[in-house]
Amino acid sequence: MSHRFSVEITKRLPGFTLDVAWTAGDGVAVLFGPSGAGKTLTLQCLAGLIRPDAGRIVVDDRVLFDAGAGVDLPPQQRHVGYVFQGYALFPHLTVGENVGFGLRDRPRPERARRVAEVVERLGLHGLEPRLPHELSGGQRQRVALGRALAIDPALLLLDEPLSALDAPLRRALRDELREILSGWGTAAVLVTHDFTEAYRLADRIIVYENGRVIQAAARAELLWQPASEAVARIMGLRNVLHGTVVKATPDRIQILWRGHTLEAVNSPTRSYLPPPESPIAFFIRPEYVRLIRKDRGAPDAAHHMNLMRGTVVGEADFGTVWSLRLRLDTQGAPAQGDFDLEVEVPHLVYEILEIERDRHWEFSIHRGSIHVLPT
Amino acid sequence: MSADALSALGLSIRVAVVATLLNALLGIPLAYLLARRAFRWRALVDLLVTLPLVLPPTVTGYYLIVLLGRRGWLGAPVYALSGWSVAFTWWAAVIAATVMALPLLVRTARAAIESVDRELEKAAFTLGRSEWRTALEVTLPLARNGIIAGLVLAFARALGEFGATLMLAGNIPGKTTTVPLAIYTAVQTGEMGEAVVLVLALTVLSCLVLVLAGRLGARAA
Repeated sequence: MSHRFSVEITKRLPGFTLDVAWTAGDGVAVLFGPSGAGKTLTLQCLAGLIRPDAGRIVVDDRVLFDAGAGVDLPPQQRHVGYVFQGYALFPHLTVGENVGFGLRDRPRPERARRVAEVVERLGLHGLEPRLPHELSGGQRQRVALGRALAIDPALLLLDEPLSALDAPLRRALRDELREILSGWGTAAVLVTHDFTEAYRLADRIIVYENGRVIQAAARAELLWQPASEAVARIMGLRNVLHGTVVKATPDRIQILWRGHTLEAVNSPTRSYLPPPESPIAFFIRPEYVRLIRKDRGAPDAAHHMNLMRGTVVGEADFGTVWSLRLRLDTQGAPAQGDFDLEVEVPHLVYEILEIERDRHWEFSIHRGSIHVLPT
Repeated sequence: MSADALSALGLSIRVAVVATLLNALLGIPLAYLLARRAFRWRALVDLLVTLPLVLPPTVTGYYLIVLLGRRGWLGAPVYALSGWSVAFTWWAAVIAATVMALPLLVRTARAAIESVDRELEKAAFTLGRSEWRTALEVTLPLARNGIIAGLVLAFARALGEFGATLMLAGNIPGKTTTVPLAIYTAVQTGEMGEAVVLVLALTVLSCLVLVLAGRLGARAA
């Protein structure tokens, strides 16, 4: 069973314009971006709850909307399951009635069979006679999922399905949701503004900003190759820095930054060849900066590239890791306010190296860990 | 209790019950439309329905005569065709009570319908329900308490209607004299005993309605 859908929507609202085009297929497509970027509006257009001004929506060769051809199926005929942000369970109906709500036009025995099947698969057995307010947050989420999945939708839409839950439950249910979605095999579009959630649940991630799509990619590609500085910032990447190009070849880029010439790998799939002297943005993952031990002799230049020295000017304990703020020894204003680089080290490393006592360090960054952001 | 008093009480209850039924029939769909639909004459309809709440009842009664009286805009053609006029019949009392009570039901029910989460209706749409079925299965059941409260208010208002009823239905003993009119007449003619009996009857009846409404509300919650 292979799914394919394409979305092209223009919708003008007072003070905001949504103008997006993307495609997705099997699995989960996540619309990711800050609040107010147009993600929920897109879902509502997909479900037929809001009418776009222009565009075309096709799900598995079924045209749901086509402004040019005058096609606009009402939500009742779209066969699209919708899991609302607050779940929108019918408070006056039992779990069983909620799950069976979309099956009214089926014969009674078939409806009962289907409800029983969905209830069983989602682990809601025994809860059928309960009302929504008698359920836990996790059970409510599963009822909302079950109600949407019971109709065998061509597409399942989920609007911030975890935001109604508190933090400890969120993590557990994120993994549960992932299993349900992959187990059910329905193509799904999920909205979130949390990158961890997006990465955990997505097969494909579509990054929204201010009513536009700024990148659509498989999740691993997005993680390692954000298409631009804007994407990197929305993803919440740290150490997004600016330098000057010294030299760019298809497999290496040299960048002048804070008095150091850094060597970075150019993307083999997406060679980016900016001319020398042009400004360039890049990012360095804090967990990929290597502090050099002082008890092992002088660093080997062949092994340690992009060597720099700096002082710890700030630190924060995140429970399992320490986040250190390093300021380089070189002259000039620090790159990020009062520091240049954020570095993350596990607790164990922090203790072994006695960083609490020893504040001045030499460190290196592998060229593969400096990621160039095309403009 | 005198025969006149009993007849007034019977008539009042009959008028209030029929007016409340008419209110339910007209007022609930009207409240739904005002709460959920943007239609062309919405502001005007809202104004017309609400007006009896702020106008003196005699003024509303006057407009009803202009509309339904023997020489009224609607009343005249009806009279010309059938030789019958609604004015000064017990139906006139029903119409006056209905019009006076309608804003109370519509405003209360409308607020209750507006407070139903629209996401629930959208959920019903995506699950294949038409707007009509969604209103019957989701919106109205969830607005139930507000609608019941509105109907109770409407019944109480219909039971106590005086000014507009007097204008359109007159004060014909045994035919259009409802309890409030009978109390007025009794006081005017110095029959204080009769007045007290009717006052007490109306008070007890109103209290019963309130208690009953409280029970219904508690069960729905």
